[in-house]
Amino acid sequence: MRRQIVALLLLALAPALLAAFFHPRRPSWRTDEITVAVAQSWKDALWLDARPRDAFEHAHVPGALLLNEDEWNDLLPAVLDAWNPDRNVVVYCSSLSCQASRDVARRLREEAQFSRVFVLQGGWEAWEKTHR
Amino acid sequence: MKCFARILGIAVGAVFLIAGAMKAWNPAQFASDVQNYRLLTWTSVVMVALYLPWLEIVSGAALVFGIARRGSIAICTGLMLVFIGALISAKLRGLDIDCGCFGHTGPHGITWPLLRDALLLAALLFLLFRETRAPR
Repeated sequence: MRRQIVALLLLALAPALLAAFFHPRRPSWRTDEITVAVAQSWKDALWLDARPRDAFEHAHVPGALLLNEDEWNDLLPAVLDAWNPDRNVVVYCSSLSCQASRDVARRLREEAQFSRVFVLQGGWEAWEKTHR
Repeated sequence: MKCFARILGIAVGAVFLIAGAMKAWNPAQFASDVQNYRLLTWTSVVMVALYLPWLEIVSGAALVFGIARRGSIAICTGLMLVFIGALISAKLRGLDIDCGCFGHTGPHGITWPLLRDALLLAALLFLLFRETRAPR
């Protein structure tokens, strides 16, 4: 059984290595999560709020634009207008346990060809904590 | 019983094959799903996102076609234990995430995937028990 396991483990390695170099949707090796302190040190960052509209309207990071997946097509043009390739983009959602910011960041990279997109660690909750 | 075990092997292998293919289709998406569990560093996440789908595909295909049967059942059982461990850990920490088990298809949340994986683990343990008891 051990020999079979080793053979299967090695067999899976070949396509995985190919995917690492040639897959069009391969993940970047660079980490994309940043803390509030790092994000704040970027004076010209474009902040994007990936939460639902009501949460955004209740409160948001000053200057942030709303961009969530529910209203993607309606909201994206304003983001494209505000973006330029030299600006770092910081996406946040509600807390450490939410997923929306990662999904929005991924779509920005894949669909809008944005580079320098980062996800705020801890999201809005972390921002609020440091600004209380 | 032999026929039942063969069909069960094909069914479980097919699940792994399909799940692996859906993840391998978009490893960037899968990396994002793995990252949401907050268990690994980003570099480890990328390695998992690139390798794990292919391990699922290779082991699943081996199980479906009855090649290296013992090895493939052992690997699938190990993978299933890891998946269940990750899901339980996410549930205990109250993470509101997608399972990421079949790409982004299926319902949001981790309760249903946990039940499904428990069933698959039971099937794999049955197959492993049969295989290890059967004469070589």
